[in-house]
Amino acid sequence: MDEKFDCIVIGGGVAGLAAAMTLARNNMKFLLIERGEFAGSKNVSGGVLWGSDLAKLVPNYWEEEDGGWERFINHRRLTLMDEQSAFTIDFKSSHFNETPYTGVVVLRSKFDNWLSGKVQEAIDASDYAMDSFIATNIKVDEVIMENDKAVGIRTGEDEFHADSVIIAEGVNNLLTRQVGLQDKYVPADHMLTGIKEIIRFDQEVLEQKFQLNGLSGMSNEFVGSATDGVEGGGFLYTNRDTISLGLVLSIKDMREKKKSPHDVLNHFKTHPAIADIIKDGEVVEYSAHVVSSGDSRVMPKELYKDGILLAGESANLLMNAGKAIQGMDYAMRSGILAAETIVKAKEKGDFSSATLKEYRSAMDQSYVMKDIKGFQDAVHLLHTETMQQKVPNLLCDFGRQFFTIKNEPTPKSKDMLKGAVKRHASFWELAKLGFKAGKSL
Amino acid sequence: MKNLKLTERLGLVSYRNQSKSEIKPHIVVDTDVCNSTCPHKCTTWVCPANCYTMDDNDQVHFQVEDCIECGTCMYACDQGAVDWNFPDPEIGRGVTWNFG
Repeated sequence: MDEKFDCIVIGGGVAGLAAAMTLARNNMKFLLIERGEFAGSKNVSGGVLWGSDLAKLVPNYWEEEDGGWERFINHRRLTLMDEQSAFTIDFKSSHFNETPYTGVVVLRSKFDNWLSGKVQEAIDASDYAMDSFIATNIKVDEVIMENDKAVGIRTGEDEFHADSVIIAEGVNNLLTRQVGLQDKYVPADHMLTGIKEIIRFDQEVLEQKFQLNGLSGMSNEFVGSATDGVEGGGFLYTNRDTISLGLVLSIKDMREKKKSPHDVLNHFKTHPAIADIIKDGEVVEYSAHVVSSGDSRVMPKELYKDGILLAGESANLLMNAGKAIQGMDYAMRSGILAAETIVKAKEKGDFSSATLKEYRSAMDQSYVMKDIKGFQDAVHLLHTETMQQKVPNLLCDFGRQFFTIKNEPTPKSKDMLKGAVKRHASFWELAKLGFKAGKSL
Repeated sequence: MKNLKLTERLGLVSYRNQSKSEIKPHIVVDTDVCNSTCPHKCTTWVCPANCYTMDDNDQVHFQVEDCIECGTCMYACDQGAVDWNFPDPEIGRGVTWNFG
């Protein structure tokens, strides 16, 4: 392996694998380096892979008997919680049964490993079947820079050389910091800790519990008392015979409120609405993974420099604007676009930023940057106390009155709502919220 | 369902190189900073694996063995005490997720 590669991809996650697949399909000579035992072995997500880009990478993936994914989403729920109640917006549609699916639940240790097998197949079918590699168990210590241009990577005593490097190392982006695209210290302000339990059930029990049919699945997000007063939210996704149940919690807020993520997870699990769901399950894994909030202030200064492109969470490409937590789909699209830029750079014989800046414009024109730019106000709104606490409390208070039937005269709903608003917020606050939400969503 | 204790949760994690008696820590914490100038010592509660503990004299201690590589401490510590890296595949600790 002393020859020079067209590209070295750092990281076997969704971004790195999407890049590698695109490179292989375009007959590029590349090296993908993964520090874990296999691609996926270090990776954690909630997680739903939203959108249909997966079908571009692995056409008709749904026809495979046992593909890398768990279930497709045709049932979505958003739950607002107070300490005792859960007020849920519920939407299920057979429209979502059609392929390509618009969201699949994945468990990364299995999914990434499967996708990496598909990349190997693409390598085998390429002109560089014997010269492109997926290398595992290697930690990249440094991106080698010459005259401020990336020329390869160093791992221990060994060096590998390439015309370009795609950094897809994940959220803890040490190499992105090393090459100067992100500050050495990233403060906690827009970073959250995701923690999750995988809870196993008998598959039939799980399918009945969540009204699943075949490989259909459900996603449920939570705001309000799920997080015990810490900024953030909760999630529940159905896998084949397990559920992924977890929380995403603001690190800064935990620091200030002296809250431990595992305590908050226990609090969430004892909420009556959750406790009833999980009562006969068995926890089989506990994991954690940091994410960014989607606030563009935490994103790297640029997505490229001479010989370097950033993809996925290395560039903090992740957003929750209230509708869904999107990260893996951003990783996939950015990986594809990064690799396409490398293909163009090779054609031109120029890997400097003069060519690589095309990645930036491709990203800006894609839904990824359009959504991140377009929904900044929604990200901010979601993290306000009004959305985090007052609205869930107010709605649950209203719900409790509305759904209570007493053997006495029933007040009109508008009076119940008025009362709930007064107890938890004010009409002025709600009017402001409605105006902001109307604009930002 | 009974809530698990953190030790039970961590008991479900597959750590690497567990047979090795000596491992190279991938995180180095300057606990002198924690125990002299830090106003909050927040790593002792924000770490999901409780790698940072506080003794009866409010002194912070760190052990890397239970680390699940999430990175929380790297962001939470605003005092410059945490030197965070990825574990070495051969001589480090870190995790291999079964589900992820």
